[in-house]
Amino acid sequence: MLRYSLRRIVLLIVTLWLLSLLIFSLNYWYPGNAVTNMTGISASNPLAYQEVYVARGFEDGIVTQYGEFIRHLLQGDWGLSLVTQQPVFAEIKPLLGATIELGLLAMFLAMVLGIPLGVYAAVQQRGPMDRIVMGVSLSAYSIPVFWLAQLFILLFAVKLGWSPISGQINPLYAIETQTGSILIDIWLSDSQFKTAAFYDALNHLWVPVIVLAMMPLTMLIRIMRNAVLDVLQQNYIKAARARGLSDSTIMFRHTLPNAMQPVVRQLGLQFSVLMTNIVITEVIFNWPGLGSWLVKSIYERDFPVIQAGLLILASLILLVNLFVDLLHAWRYPQVRKEIDAE
Amino acid sequence: MFKQLMVASGTLLLAACGPVQTDSEVYQDGLVYCSEGNPEIFNPQLVTSGTTVDATSAQLYDRLLDYDAKQQQFVPALARGWQSFDDGRRYRFNLRKDVNFHHTDWFTPTRTFNADDVLFSFQRWLNEQHPYYPVNGGRYPFFRSSGLIRLIEHVEKIDDYTVDFHLAQSDSSFLANVATDFAVILSEEYGQQLIAAGNPEQIDRLPVGTGPFAFELFRKDFVIRYSAHKDYWREQPEIKTLVYVITPNANKRMLKLLTGECDVIPYPLVNELSQLDQDAQIEVGSSVSPNVSFWAFNTKQPPFDNVIVRRALAHAINRPAIIQTIYSGNARLATGMLPETSWAYSPVQQTYPYDPAKARELLAEAGFPNGFSMDIWAMPVQRAYNPNAQRMAELIQSDLAQVGVQANIVSYEWNTFRQRLVEGEHDSVLIGWVADNADPDNFFRPTLSCAAARSGNNRAQWCNPEFDRLLIEAIAESDLDQRKHLYQAIEDFVMQQAPLVPIANSLRFQAHRDDVEGVELPPYGGINFRYARRIKDAPL
Repeated sequence: MLRYSLRRIVLLIVTLWLLSLLIFSLNYWYPGNAVTNMTGISASNPLAYQEVYVARGFEDGIVTQYGEFIRHLLQGDWGLSLVTQQPVFAEIKPLLGATIELGLLAMFLAMVLGIPLGVYAAVQQRGPMDRIVMGVSLSAYSIPVFWLAQLFILLFAVKLGWSPISGQINPLYAIETQTGSILIDIWLSDSQFKTAAFYDALNHLWVPVIVLAMMPLTMLIRIMRNAVLDVLQQNYIKAARARGLSDSTIMFRHTLPNAMQPVVRQLGLQFSVLMTNIVITEVIFNWPGLGSWLVKSIYERDFPVIQAGLLILASLILLVNLFVDLLHAWRYPQVRKEIDAE
Repeated sequence: MFKQLMVASGTLLLAACGPVQTDSEVYQDGLVYCSEGNPEIFNPQLVTSGTTVDATSAQLYDRLLDYDAKQQQFVPALARGWQSFDDGRRYRFNLRKDVNFHHTDWFTPTRTFNADDVLFSFQRWLNEQHPYYPVNGGRYPFFRSSGLIRLIEHVEKIDDYTVDFHLAQSDSSFLANVATDFAVILSEEYGQQLIAAGNPEQIDRLPVGTGPFAFELFRKDFVIRYSAHKDYWREQPEIKTLVYVITPNANKRMLKLLTGECDVIPYPLVNELSQLDQDAQIEVGSSVSPNVSFWAFNTKQPPFDNVIVRRALAHAINRPAIIQTIYSGNARLATGMLPETSWAYSPVQQTYPYDPAKARELLAEAGFPNGFSMDIWAMPVQRAYNPNAQRMAELIQSDLAQVGVQANIVSYEWNTFRQRLVEGEHDSVLIGWVADNADPDNFFRPTLSCAAARSGNNRAQWCNPEFDRLLIEAIAESDLDQRKHLYQAIEDFVMQQAPLVPIANSLRFQAHRDDVEGVELPPYGGINFRYARRIKDAPL
């Protein structure tokens, strides 16, 4: 396990290093001045410009500049936004909170619905319910997120009026942004309308969460179904049957724990898909998260923000994948053996 | 985190069992305005963008005087009254006492408004040596383009509540410029505190003013929150919380109005307005915005240097049809350069009627019995005064074909377009003008004077000394009736010379829920929420 973990961590560090190299190079590839792209301070402010010019190692060669880039990155000095002239790093926390809240809820919903439905479909294999579940999940999987989001807005918000169109909460509730996660912020706030605000926030949340959960949900159903079917073929299940164990014991004691293995392995991948979709979802639902922040910064050519957005989203995906891999290897020793045997 | 959420929801469910708080209060006392974009900064002195003006001027700040568009006159605001001396070269303002500045988390005022604040607010952009002059960009586009920066020689404090403005020459547009949304009054005391704290940039980002609403917070791309100014010197605003939700997408803005997430929206889509009107819960308000769209001829280029050709072309186009097609009727046919909102406006037609036969006759008289070929430049962007210049150019193209003139439509990317216009490369162009203040001078000097021809803003490249003389005469006159006559003479002169054909004065729209009233959309300047209120009995 230790050897495996070390290998994964070294791999992560190498990937992060390559990522930092890419982002560092972007400063030179973007149009304009590299110092400005890096720090958000333009040459029209000569005093501050001279200061960062020296601090970022622009009097020396490219290697020093990279060293300074990493040092500033680690210190949390990520430059100023070209548009707002506010420090980029300070903006990240609430955005990250909002993105993680949406992502986690969607992932949670996908697992809570996807796993039982997958098992159900497997048990009903080739039966009518199996076909219905699989058919619906395939159709849902084929609808692009941006389209699904618009459809849901039209249906639930405009036609039925069950939910608002966009945003985190009705802005008239003066909820102070602390963590960025709206439910936690309401909990922490001292608003006198906490309960009402909480329901209002939930009302804003459910449509984007369902939209976002759709893709991983349909994937999970399919993976789970296949995994259960695979396990049901195994000899130890036949043996269990021969021992006269009840169907439910076979399912919950023997099939499910083993069938979860490929599902856990897939979770990291599903998270990457989720992160891609979250960018689109956030833009459509005007969700104050990293994704919409990144997209807007691209429209505004706000290079320090683009870098920060890329770095955070990429690191988040890498870290979650590492975590899932480690969890997978720790939980299922046979995987470690496979890897060690390579 | 999920555990935390469970705990959170658990606590909330428990809380719900206690005395139930109604949330209707929140809705009743608040108003959501879905604005079309982020303000660049919270001080209109520094910009000319309408979005920023809408977000700041009337809400956060007050001016020395206001312009009452209904009565078409200036009314006292922070100045109780004013007089002019020395043949209009000195204006004295008597200031109001007991005007409070906003009391916020970042500033506690120790004194009320006085002459120092007026000096501070004007010196900031008048005096290049002023410590705040270079802060946050240090460009003051409105004051520069309106000439106010050169007109005001200096501002003098007579006593704590009296201020004198010394002007370089008599200029009757002075009061109009001081009443614009740009000439706001800042707090001198706040300015001094920020200098002492070494943080002067904050003055335009965490603003302090005397206006009906105080700034609370701004999250770029999402929300601006204002709360009612408790010690406002005029009548308290009725709404307690004013929220701007930034919604750049026009479709989404309209849908959010339909679902009730927005109470008021600007710039609803014109072609869907009729649909909006049918919905009983939505009301559409409009005002004639002080703008004019026109078709300007490059009078330096033959054959447009010939006034007969220009008149012929003016007769050749069917403007009522254009209004119907391009603006779906949401515009008025221009009767001259001045729109209806101007006090110098007169309903007399000072344009050429549609008359193709007459146009042919005039063309023949000018020596073009078989017509000629020309270019029409059409803006690549939408503007309030012209939502679709390309389509308008096509309509004009077919009208011109009727009289034998063959027109080609030309367009470039917007920045290039304007640069080339300044160079005078065009034959004719479809463009327009939006006035910044209520003074009629603002419709002529920046668009048709010789100075404007030199700077390139004169799209007709037209420089007529007689016209400039009329302008100077009108600006030097201080009697309103006299001035009105002079501007009518100017309109006649423009019509006679026809350097351009005024086409339309478009309306500016705003739509709101029917339980909201009192949202003001003055023809000059930004939206005003001071009188906005929710009708109490309305169902939520």
